Amino acid sequence: MSLTATYKLSARLFWRDKGMLPASVITPLGLAIGMPTLMRNVTAGGVTAAAQMFVGTLALILSGTAFLNITVALTMRRDQLLLKRLRATRLTDRQILLGEVASTATQTVIVMVISAVAVHLLADVPLPRDPVLFAVFAVAGAAVMATLGVAWTAAIPRGELAAPMTLPFFFLAGLASGAMGPIVDLLPSWLHPFFAALPTSAVVDVVRASYGPGTLGSDLAAAAVPALVLAVWAGVALLSIRRWFRWETRKS
Amino acid sequence: MAAIQVNHLSKSYGSFQAVDDISFEVEAGAVFALLGRNGAGKTTTIELLTGFRRPDAGTVRVLGLDPIRDRAQVRGNVGIMLQEAGFFPDLTAGQTVEIWRDFTPAARPASEALELAGLTAKAKTKVRQLSGGEKRRLDLALALLGRPDVLFLDEPTTGMDPEARRDVWEVVRDLAARGTTVLLTTHYLEEAQQLATNLAIMDRGEIVVGGDMAETLAARVGRVSFELPSVVQPGELPLPATVRGKVAVVQAADPDLAAQTLLSWASERGLRLRGLEVRTASLEDLFLELAHNGETAQNSTTTRDARA
Repeated sequence: MSLTATYKLSARLFWRDKGMLPASVITPLGLAIGMPTLMRNVTAGGVTAAAQMFVGTLALILSGTAFLNITVALTMRRDQLLLKRLRATRLTDRQILLGEVASTATQTVIVMVISAVAVHLLADVPLPRDPVLFAVFAVAGAAVMATLGVAWTAAIPRGELAAPMTLPFFFLAGLASGAMGPIVDLLPSWLHPFFAALPTSAVVDVVRASYGPGTLGSDLAAAAVPALVLAVWAGVALLSIRRWFRWETRKS
Repeated sequence: MAAIQVNHLSKSYGSFQAVDDISFEVEAGAVFALLGRNGAGKTTTIELLTGFRRPDAGTVRVLGLDPIRDRAQVRGNVGIMLQEAGFFPDLTAGQTVEIWRDFTPAARPASEALELAGLTAKAKTKVRQLSGGEKRRLDLALALLGRPDVLFLDEPTTGMDPEARRDVWEVVRDLAARGTTVLLTTHYLEEAQQLATNLAIMDRGEIVVGGDMAETLAARVGRVSFELPSVVQPGELPLPATVRGKVAVVQAADPDLAAQTLLSWASERGLRLRGLEVRTASLEDLFLELAHNGETAQNSTTTRDARA
């Protein structure tokens, strides 16, 4: 089927794009593995701190491998009139974008799983107690972030501006989820609900629950609000795409 | 039924009227050339026909379908060679065709598509190393993958050397002979004259001349010229003629027939028509004539800037 074709193409381009791999894979993966490993070895309560930090770094993977990557890739393809060429084929608009989103989400989940296994081996961070909860929110979070990335391309005038216009979200997401340490605690408290409402924070909150002690009931309770947050972001992304997405650069 | 029907089609970008109320039809199996200078509205017309742009007014039907509303269905039966569209620079020509086959139901084998476009030797070359003309060939290979019923070619041979251009003409003729409808735009008058059975010449978004190639050319500028014998007054000639100095010029839809009429008229009177020249129209004549008219018109109005 044609969706498989766009998925395969997107995945192939993802791993071949040597210009993007440092930002889309190496940096997020390096931070998600390196920072917890560092915490494990330099702090007294090593494993707890490492686990705490690792869960936070998932926000960096979500915003780097999913959001930043798809935004840059799609804006470049739009500028190079590659999206236009894809649209000259039998593919529908939906298949083209869905293929990109699905492929980006897959790569993101792969990077998340690799880092979870790596910190388990390197920093003794336990594996999640509830792997299903982890998996569901990893997949949903990656898909929502990729869809948001598609929507965000509409705001970007040309390819070279894609990375600078997207990086702030990478740092914001990392900051809000504690990937850069407890900086959030130093910021005014009225900012906290705003940080918690980020899609990356929603995923991190649930993953944190999946690592901590709990039961099926407590997991479901922990997942309820974040699921709603993700659903709202997904809706915002889809509506924006419908309203503003551009397949070609603006003329003039 | 006509393969392509265009009815009172208009499109503007801001205050620029790119396509201004054009109508034409292309019969199934015909090769239709859309000619015009840069900014005449050719590419916009192709983009409207292929559903890349939404018309401001008017309708387009390709194989009876609306290219925007029924896009997926139309796309299954048309091949599109865009004037400007990118490739993935790090894929080879062969890989590009292979990937596009995944998007195309019942696609030709990759080797066949490359062969048709004359790219077999470059199958393993990365797209970024292809020349401009070779990229056009790759574009053609992709357009032909799905064995389309209707083929849109926007300046198919730009950047190609004369030999490559002739190869492409051969491919287009061959496809047309097997019933493929072809709509092409071109700057090369020879290309249009070689390939097309029908044409439309666009200027500032409007079709200024259109119809059957042979008829259009004949009706516009076919002519017979000869030295007017000194004993003959222009009014005595069997056909209306303009006389400049000693040379009389007869403009005629069918210059061969006009020449025959003149010759038999002369022989009946025992006259000789010296310096007789019969000239069938070429597209170039027509184009120059239109360009000349255009300039005259442009001088009397304010100059509008052109845009592709």
